[in-house]
Amino acid sequence: MTTPLLQARDVSKTYRLGRVDVPVLRGASIEVGRGEWVAVLGSSGSGKSTLLHILGGLDRPDRGRRLDPRERAAEIAFEGRSLTSASKRELDRYRRSSVGFVFQFYHLMPELTVLENVVISAMIRRGLGYATRAREARARAKELLDSVGLAHRLRHRPRELSGGERQRVALARALINDPAVLLADEPTGNLDRATGEQVLGQLAEIRRSRGLTMVMVTHDRNVAERADRTVRLVDGRVAADASM
Amino acid sequence: MYQALITRRYLTSKVMPLLASLAVVLCTAMVLITWSVMGGFLNSLLSTGRTMIGDVTINWPNRGFAHYDDLVARLEADPMIAAAAPVIETAGTLTLPDDRVELVLVKGVDPESFARVTRYAETIWWKPLAEPMPKDGEREDIRLNPSFQFDDGVGNRRVDWNEVERQGLTLSRVDPETGAPEPALVMGLNVSELNRRKIWGGYVPTYPQRQLADGSVEDVPAFLPVNGEVILSVAPFDSKGRVVDMVTRSIPVANEFNTGVWDVDSRTVLVRLDLLQQMLGMDRARRVEQGDPREAFAPYWDEAAQRWVFTPPDVVVEDPPRVTSVLVRAHDPDLDPEVLKAQCRIIYGGFVAAHAGEVPVASRIRVNSWADLNRVMIAAVKKETSLVLFIFSFISLTAVFLVLAIFWSMVSERTREIGVLRALGASGLGVASLWLSYGLVIGFVGSALGLALAFVIVHNINPIHEWLGSALGIVIWDPAIYVFTRIPSEVDPVHAAMVFVAGVVSCVVGALIPAVRAARMDPVAALRFE
Repeated sequence: MTTPLLQARDVSKTYRLGRVDVPVLRGASIEVGRGEWVAVLGSSGSGKSTLLHILGGLDRPDRGRRLDPRERAAEIAFEGRSLTSASKRELDRYRRSSVGFVFQFYHLMPELTVLENVVISAMIRRGLGYATRAREARARAKELLDSVGLAHRLRHRPRELSGGERQRVALARALINDPAVLLADEPTGNLDRATGEQVLGQLAEIRRSRGLTMVMVTHDRNVAERADRTVRLVDGRVAADASM
Repeated sequence: MYQALITRRYLTSKVMPLLASLAVVLCTAMVLITWSVMGGFLNSLLSTGRTMIGDVTINWPNRGFAHYDDLVARLEADPMIAAAAPVIETAGTLTLPDDRVELVLVKGVDPESFARVTRYAETIWWKPLAEPMPKDGEREDIRLNPSFQFDDGVGNRRVDWNEVERQGLTLSRVDPETGAPEPALVMGLNVSELNRRKIWGGYVPTYPQRQLADGSVEDVPAFLPVNGEVILSVAPFDSKGRVVDMVTRSIPVANEFNTGVWDVDSRTVLVRLDLLQQMLGMDRARRVEQGDPREAFAPYWDEAAQRWVFTPPDVVVEDPPRVTSVLVRAHDPDLDPEVLKAQCRIIYGGFVAAHAGEVPVASRIRVNSWADLNRVMIAAVKKETSLVLFIFSFISLTAVFLVLAIFWSMVSERTREIGVLRALGASGLGVASLWLSYGLVIGFVGSALGLALAFVIVHNINPIHEWLGSALGIVIWDPAIYVFTRIPSEVDPVHAAMVFVAGVVSCVVGALIPAVRAARMDPVAALRFE
């Protein structure tokens, strides 16, 4: 078997809420193959967003003591390279160049125009080097916005857009740096069914045309059904892993 | 790169940072205005020396010293020294046309050499003026009018400004009856209190008023430099410092001078050196003294007393004229006064050697610069400047805390956006630099506008002050207290640059803590922030 593109093994994560420790993940494991579309299904509080954040290098799994000697240490790997022991800078770089995030609440910058919201991702990726590639990045952003049907909205602010349009801007932003993997956290969770379907259709189309690897967190079985494979999280553990 | 984009967008879309910027504008403007006015005050105080006494004065405040022509010649022969002038300074009283009596400082000067050492010619006020003063938009200045006339009680009388200026330069006025020049007096512009200061910076003369026996008041139809006359009284001293007898003389007024230093302009009068020497008995004089008994011992028989007299015979001695001071001006205006003073002492040493016994010895003579003569006032101004600057800089620290508070709340408000930037791959350092660069821009804009505001206010501070006085009755700058009749209105570019840098640095410092807070935010917590 070839090395999976993204791999998480025995991931535990406990949050502290006031004085109470709330375990969110309790040894969850997942493997995502190159070009695969994996849906992570679970009820709210099952730890699916946390798993996504850990896969995207935004968060780290617990390093706590292993009570059970048979328990193995948590391990996250991208293209076979471990992210568990990566430095902050390496994780920043990983997020910049290999990962694209799409969130339930779009998370666009309200002061920036549609075009700038997309371009900013390229700015962060390139740093000072962006200056020499600005024209190229803007052209690419326009192309992406055109492909999601927003070519006429470039100079608008997010508040002037509908929910579906905002999520499509977020999608373009996630894609501008050609990431290896797209991590989507309930991308249709805030949209009505019809709009959700439309956005999902675009996601599927983009993934197919680019051979993009995608991990999508959802609580909606209908959404999960469109994926290649569904992973079900129950109480912080993977309860079922079924290929569709 | 993204920092620049976001900073630009934040700047144009939010009111809060503009408030922070406004605080910076006010603080930088306040500090720079204070510095300019107080620093300008100090500079005028220091530079007035050249207007008044040249660079250094050699002074013996007693009976004065003789052979001053030789001292002046010796001083002027030195390559360091441009010019020297003999002067007498003494106290006197002046009776003005309205019968007021004022205590004044009387200076006897030789107009020609005095003008070479000081800027006397520039300070003469009544003279023809081709261009109006900068703020005199309405051309109200009477000196602009070549056919200015005033009512002298007989009829309208035309003023010849050229003649009036010449009178000032020569300290003499033509006697209308004999047609011959006679010595005249030039006094400070504020001595008579008859010149009314106008909002555009010039003066308009008024008639003096005199009270009559029946209690009524009448105008005296006099314009001082043309038909004004005053009574000057001075007290000659003998060699023991006793007043011999007050000498009083009625003298016509030739002109008035304006140095801009209130203290000088309100209590100094100038007369010709020879006139004052004559009044004080310091001119060339013959004196009868007892002869030296060893040289001319000749006892003689006194018929009336019927006895031999052993007193040596009287001899006639000639006293050379004397002055109390010699003013010195150096070629190089930036020459250290201490160097010049040392050089003057050396030259004076040579002078004493040549006139041993006739002039005060070198150790008793006083050699002072303007700063020495006014060291108490200069030190007070220096202290006051640094104190006010310190207090205002301290107040300006509020700007730092204002930026801190505003940035802190902005960072809270934008927690989710910070989370998004982190998710897109921005590093903690990158996020920190976003807020720092934002602080930098706020500081830059605020300080630049503050500087501009300070420039505008300082350059127009006198009209603003005059307006405050006339419209609201607020007089902040009382010339009687602040020495100068005008508020200094120059901004030192070095001071401006320092204030600018301090303003920018303050903002960056204020932004520092919020920036660190933003950088240390947990990206996941930030994203989930509601």
